[in-house]
Amino acid sequence: MNPLCTPGEHHLSRRAFLGGGLSLLATPVLAEALKQKDKQVLFVWLDGGLSQLESWDPKPNTEFGGPFRSIKTSVPGVHFSELMPKLAKQMHKLCVVRSMCTKDNAHSSGVDRIQRGDPTNRGVPYPHFGAGVAKLLGPGSSGLPPYVWIKPGSGGFRAEDAGFLGPKYGSLAFGDGKPPENLLRHPDISVEQDAARNELRRMLDQRFAAKREKRVVEANASVFDMAEKLMARADIFDTSRLPERDRERYGRHDLGQHMLVARQMLEAGVRFVKVTSYGWDTHGDNFNAHATMVPKFDQAFSAMLEDLEASGLLKTTLVICLSEFGRTPRINGHVGRDHWPEAWSIAMAGHGVRHGTLIGETNDKGTAVKSQPYDIGSMFHTWYRALGIDPLRTEFDNAGQPLPIAHDEMIPIKEALS
Amino acid sequence: MSIEPKQIAEIKSEHQISAARFSSDGGVLATAGYEPLVRRWQFDGKTLTPLPPLDGFHGYSTAIAWHPKLPRLFCADSWGHLRCSEGEKTLWQHESAHDGWLRQIAVSPEASRIATCGKDQFLCVWDAATGKKLHEHPAGEDVYALTFSPDGQHLVFGDMRGRLVVMDRDLKKAHRTLDASVLYKLDRIQDLGGLRTLLFIDGGKTLLAAGTTPQNGATPQSIPTILHFDFASGRLTQTFTHGANKEGFIHDLVQHPQGHLMAVTSGTPGSGMLILVNPADKEPFHVNTKMANCHALALHPDGTHFVVASTNRDSNGNGRSLGKNGEYKTNSSPLHLFEI
Repeated sequence: MNPLCTPGEHHLSRRAFLGGGLSLLATPVLAEALKQKDKQVLFVWLDGGLSQLESWDPKPNTEFGGPFRSIKTSVPGVHFSELMPKLAKQMHKLCVVRSMCTKDNAHSSGVDRIQRGDPTNRGVPYPHFGAGVAKLLGPGSSGLPPYVWIKPGSGGFRAEDAGFLGPKYGSLAFGDGKPPENLLRHPDISVEQDAARNELRRMLDQRFAAKREKRVVEANASVFDMAEKLMARADIFDTSRLPERDRERYGRHDLGQHMLVARQMLEAGVRFVKVTSYGWDTHGDNFNAHATMVPKFDQAFSAMLEDLEASGLLKTTLVICLSEFGRTPRINGHVGRDHWPEAWSIAMAGHGVRHGTLIGETNDKGTAVKSQPYDIGSMFHTWYRALGIDPLRTEFDNAGQPLPIAHDEMIPIKEALS
Repeated sequence: MSIEPKQIAEIKSEHQISAARFSSDGGVLATAGYEPLVRRWQFDGKTLTPLPPLDGFHGYSTAIAWHPKLPRLFCADSWGHLRCSEGEKTLWQHESAHDGWLRQIAVSPEASRIATCGKDQFLCVWDAATGKKLHEHPAGEDVYALTFSPDGQHLVFGDMRGRLVVMDRDLKKAHRTLDASVLYKLDRIQDLGGLRTLLFIDGGKTLLAAGTTPQNGATPQSIPTILHFDFASGRLTQTFTHGANKEGFIHDLVQHPQGHLMAVTSGTPGSGMLILVNPADKEPFHVNTKMANCHALALHPDGTHFVVASTNRDSNGNGRSLGKNGEYKTNSSPLHLFEI
């Protein structure tokens, strides 16, 4: 018998909750279930590759260190680039891994591999971390879509993000942080008409299901469920009702405003929120580019950390910030830095990670990891562990080959776990 | 016009160079770049020989300017250090003239003052002889470039967003603002600031703003651009562009005594060029694409020699590029010495 729980066991029904009242908290299993329900993830993706030298791992005044200074952080002995003054004041909330050493130096393969935490080819695509969390922790008591993605540009449902877990656990992307078009019921359609339509749809779904693979049908139905839930919570996209001060604190730029939408989604109980910022692939004019972009990231990300802490959500929310790789130490003729998976950094905060911790070290010039190097698989193990999920639990049988949710040759970074 | 510059020497430099200028007597070339040193090179008419560098800088040495009459060099770094040197002797210095990246230095025509600008969004005017700060002005944006008008009465600065502001020499009053915003683009959260250098020609009647017209960000794709402004009216009179949107930035621009403009570019993903063009023309009369990604051009006072700092070939590449001995590869800036 598998000693681990199944996703179904994580469901806490409304009836169970209401029927049990506060006395449920005294029941260890349900108290644990509630605790499990509360765990959330904020996953910030700086697409293209943030330079570790202009952010988490500065090497000022060295051959490849670039023009910028480093500044002290709130943790003695730890320095960040001068481009991150606000985050420097919050290092005591962070856990920074400076010893990432991954395999791919191309976006096409690097993005996929990093987001799936899969350093080797197992014949089937591994799920994105968000998909894994969506399945293993479920949507939570909010009932909102468990894996949402706030990104510039277009939105939509990305079934392929779920990998072997099945399309139901894909990401629901909100382009520019806006709700899907025509989310709300048209005013010309009454509640009764809408209910009748949905009933008809469900009947057609059942007919459709009889001839289709179960997981495809589930995915199809789940999209409608998501839409229903979102219709009831369209307010989570609306930042206009927030105090002006909040919108200023996060920044008027799209990363700031998307982060603010993400905060609202976390507050509403969305299990996993991914925020993407594009444009970090600075093969040219790297220093001026980072001089304008990193402070905006610093502003938005630090405001988020402050607010999550103030609301108490930082205790239950695992926060992760990364790219597909870092950037080369050497500076090319375009005054840019190229792709660099060899020695780069990831930052974390919140639930399950040890705060104020610096893990790993690069050499003096930043050209190699000096300490134990970590591949992305180790991070997935660490993150699953931080959420109380066994990273080795089997989630897929690939024609007789049982596949764990995280890469089976990796282990978590113990020093990163609280 | 038929001028065909001939390269007479290529001098190896182990570091990457972003700025180069000859002293007023032409005997010394000073270079700044991606290291905390200002390098000096003795020029004998045929080649450049290294002199002891000036040390004590931090980050990158970023800006250099010579006194127009004396062998005095004003130089700065990306941590805000500003210095006046004569030979190896420091005449005066400020450790924190600016808060961080000091981007450019301009010397007034009569050489009594120098002006500096920086990422700290400040503009400062200093007494050139003593280093005493005379005036400062909060520009409100990262200031990329500045220059004095030939009559010495005005100081013009250009910021990241392509705003050119004409101020009096004491920084007390902004007389007018010129629109060079074509040199700026916001791409997602990246401010693509294309302004790189300012230059007066025609005795001060025309102000040139050179850099790039950004098309898109991340890896910026952009077109080398020179904007011509009638200085009296502030009217844009001409726009010179050259090449496709991969050719990037005009990093350096000077005017030859014969009147033509000399510019160097580095592109993304283009590979850079030397351009010679008459100010009134739409097309250059000479283009040299043999040098990769050029960042600095120094015209010798004799008008018959100039130096271009380029970048070694194959300077870019993802992942760990190793040299012949397994070492992590670095890049450098060959110095190309030309004779006209």
